[in-house]
Amino acid sequence: MKKIFILTGLLMSLFWFAGCVSPKSDTPTEETASAHSTSRWTIGMSQCNLGEPWRVQMNLDIKNAADKHPELRVIFKDAQNDSLKQRAQIEEFINTDVDLLIVSPKEAAPLTSPIAEAYDKGIPVIVLDRRVLGDRYTCFIGANNKTIGRAAGDWIRRRLQNQGRVVELKGLMTSTPGQDRHTGFRGAIENSRIDIIFEADMKWLEPNSRREMESALARFNTIDLVYAHNDPGAHGAYLAARAANREQDILFVGIDALPHEGQVYVRQGLLAASFEYPTGGRDAITTALDILGGKDVEREITLRSRVFTKDNIDQGGEWVN
Amino acid sequence: MNENPPKKDPSANLLKWFRSPFVRALVALGFVLMIGFIFNAEGSFLKWQTHRDMLRHISVFGILACGMTLVIITAGIDLSVGSILGMTAVIFSIFSIHFDWSPWLAIPLCLGAGAVCGLVSGGLIARFRIQPFIATLAMMVFARGMAKWISGGQKISTAVLQSGGQYRYKEVPAIFDGLNAKVLHNNIAVVTLIFFACILVCWLILAKLRWGRHIYAIGGNEEAARLSGIPVTATKLIAYGLSGFFCAVAGICQAAQEFQGDPEAGQTYELTAIAIVVIGGTNLMGGRGGIGLTFIGAMTIGYLEKILSINAVGEASRLMLTGAIIIGAVLFQKVRK
Repeated sequence: MKKIFILTGLLMSLFWFAGCVSPKSDTPTEETASAHSTSRWTIGMSQCNLGEPWRVQMNLDIKNAADKHPELRVIFKDAQNDSLKQRAQIEEFINTDVDLLIVSPKEAAPLTSPIAEAYDKGIPVIVLDRRVLGDRYTCFIGANNKTIGRAAGDWIRRRLQNQGRVVELKGLMTSTPGQDRHTGFRGAIENSRIDIIFEADMKWLEPNSRREMESALARFNTIDLVYAHNDPGAHGAYLAARAANREQDILFVGIDALPHEGQVYVRQGLLAASFEYPTGGRDAITTALDILGGKDVEREITLRSRVFTKDNIDQGGEWVN
Repeated sequence: MNENPPKKDPSANLLKWFRSPFVRALVALGFVLMIGFIFNAEGSFLKWQTHRDMLRHISVFGILACGMTLVIITAGIDLSVGSILGMTAVIFSIFSIHFDWSPWLAIPLCLGAGAVCGLVSGGLIARFRIQPFIATLAMMVFARGMAKWISGGQKISTAVLQSGGQYRYKEVPAIFDGLNAKVLHNNIAVVTLIFFACILVCWLILAKLRWGRHIYAIGGNEEAARLSGIPVTATKLIAYGLSGFFCAVAGICQAAQEFQGDPEAGQTYELTAIAIVVIGGTNLMGGRGGIGLTFIGAMTIGYLEKILSINAVGEASRLMLTGAIIIGAVLFQKVRK
């Protein structure tokens, strides 16, 4: 009995600490629904991993867009980066007869069949960001990393006037976004006098990026620009350069341009530019309304991307494709 | 710890000296340093800034390893260190950035939160006899969940979301700049000094306090320790509590260095912390080891990562080389002549 009291006491004190801080209840997480009592349609949203801020933003975009339509009710599920869990969640949505399914799949192969099953049962499916195999889905919405990488390369080429010494801090090179942001960029700077003097995998993580940039700074006395595959990477590189008092000599360019991350860094003048990788959340709800309203939609919707710089951020960025 | 055998001849003494874990750990570090001198990336390895940056980078891992050392000497393990780091980084950022609380309030509360997490793990292990692996695994999951719940899954940065969907931009708190700074004419990072302070505290505990000897006794033979009147439950509780405390120290340093509280921060850091302790030569079975060894272990891992980084070694080769060199270093420490 005494032990149980001790344990309860310890847990209560832990919750007290948690109570000191206010959780943000407006962020949609697993199983929370953007609900309206008068809703006509229920949409199931299966997110592959809410561990990534970009995907949290995607859910938030969906929620914000859906909140403007009282006829919609969205149920969110988070598969926690597990393909089989996501498969089970899609099956749950099918069994509860949702009117439409939005899936941002973790991987193509394991999720193709549950998505096809829903589609075959007459549930419209919007596949968001990552593709599945075959054609048994209603619509794919996504941005093109290669195009964004190329846009970043073109911008860098112009900014450096065709020559300079560049550090490339890559995302995970075993992931498709990392590969595409790399090949797009390299394609754009081909036949220029831009030298990639240092490149390293930072695995999308800021602390890794800072460490790699410290190495680049130790090795090279002149660095003109850092191209990082995401904004946390560019920010980590900036912090390393600032610690070495060299941040004024270097331009930092990142990708993703999340409102609370990349766009803030650009506004603060830390990054010279950030290229948007749109979440497609708002577009998914617009498309969902069209489908539910009986309209025909395009089978493939490629999202446009914007570049944010200090000059254009107040005007909402500039389209690059 | 060991009895001194009667002196025989100088060569036997030399052999004994060489067999001491401390010397072996130093030789492993020397081996890694030698690689650095050979592959010095056009002299980058010879610059002081490389070493200073390595020390900065390894500090957070080193602080986690301090707590881990205490726990491992009791023959336990703490898998929750990375998650508690993430949780306290988030709490510290909310207190400092969103609430504008003074560091005098925010830091003790965060340290307390970390210590409570550690105490809960310790309580489960010491009182309820749950295996350390299971209890701290549960805490690892719980603390990560709490970090995500508190932060709403988003990084806690200086851009604060208002109710209307607009962002309000706040100043970076002075404490973040202070902890991220370098002192002594830009020659050493503040977080590195904090790491050194943690090492010193652990050394005082293990070498100078009676309680430190209790930790060794419990790790060596828990039943014998209990029979000889050592307060096993309290000792274990404090060991895990201190581990949680050091996690909070590391979490605060992490938040200050990133200028934000990332709920995902610290993932897989527990593995690096364990690797640091083991490479140093502290026995995973408990009862043997020390904080000096952990310090050398931290240097070994830190230099290894730095050397691979300045040479821009690709990710695949980097993982394979790290694995191979860790095994090499541990095997070397096991060799008996």
